[in-house]
Amino acid sequence: METEDYLDLRIDEFLDRLAEGGRAPGGGSAAALAVAFAAGLVAMVARCSRGSWEDAAGVAAQSLAIKERAAQLARTDADAWQQASAALGEAGADGDAEGRDRDLEQKLGHAAAVPLEIAELGADAAALAALVGEYCEGAYRADAAAAAALASGGASAAAHLVQVNLTVQEGDERLKRARASEQAAAESAKRTLASIR
Amino acid sequence: MSQLSTLSDAELVQRCREGNTDAWNELVERFSRYVYAVCTRGYRLSEEDADDVFQEVFTRVFTHLDTLRNDAALRPWIAQLTRRLCLDSITKRGREQATEEPMAEELAADLAEIDEAFTVREALATLSDTCQEMLDRFFARDQSYRTISDELDLPSGTVASRIARCLSKLRTELEGRNEGPRGSRG
Repeated sequence: METEDYLDLRIDEFLDRLAEGGRAPGGGSAAALAVAFAAGLVAMVARCSRGSWEDAAGVAAQSLAIKERAAQLARTDADAWQQASAALGEAGADGDAEGRDRDLEQKLGHAAAVPLEIAELGADAAALAALVGEYCEGAYRADAAAAAALASGGASAAAHLVQVNLTVQEGDERLKRARASEQAAAESAKRTLASIR
Repeated sequence: MSQLSTLSDAELVQRCREGNTDAWNELVERFSRYVYAVCTRGYRLSEEDADDVFQEVFTRVFTHLDTLRNDAALRPWIAQLTRRLCLDSITKRGREQATEEPMAEELAADLAEIDEAFTVREALATLSDTCQEMLDRFFARDQSYRTISDELDLPSGTVASRIARCLSKLRTELEGRNEGPRGSRG
């Protein structure tokens, strides 16, 4: 089962698809795109500050890498979620129950790995937003703050999706990492927003 | 990293001419991936044909090194030699495989991409081990700042800035590559 590539859609088409009521895209894809938007904003702010900030180009390059990775995860998350959802639907069927259980566990595990990656990218995008907020040219500080807030929101949403995954228990390493990313992103956003108000 | 790996192409050619076996090994090591990439990714040669071209390229480089007029132009010379031998190989294979030959525009784009990748790789090799490690982890292995910070034992808040500075050094190195001898490791 494979989903369409959301990156080929216009933004209004993607939003319509999100609102449609189908299985995907859902929260994971939206979180991934929130992080991608944040990273795109950071790149813009950094590029606009090249004249006054030595590290601007290097920060822009990192933001672009994060933007690309996060955008790709919008589709990966939908694929993973659809596969896990289909496996869940087959869980009670007759036949090889043990094989189905293994398959379900593997697919659910993958469905948790993707939002974990989104949460970590969110933390990184928020860290870059805090950095550009500190060093960028004044006119762009509000964009840096917007980027930090978006990245933190994406990280938080993704961390929640890790938490509610059926294979993830309290104390699970994946959950610890997701929460740490959520917290790191929130701290970066708080710092950035406070410095601008 | 051996001392020879920090030599410029021109310095390496000079050592090879003096009969230094280690320098020759370094030259082959430095250009082997490049030659192989041009054969397989550029000209889509089979593994067997690519191996033949590979052997022939380095045999000719070895025997004709004295004829190279500009020692700093080692890579363009090897590139030209490889391209010519790839075309010979395709011609030798006959028309039945002509459909597998890349279109001229596609070939030019692929070769340019290979050239760029190897230029960046060479420039990367001049950076400090820490810079190489950080850039590799972030851009090639897609590692998060937290993972890099944990594994390299760096303060988490400094990773992005350090990577930015490493990129800045890489840029300086790339910009200066055509202007003079290779710089020191930063």
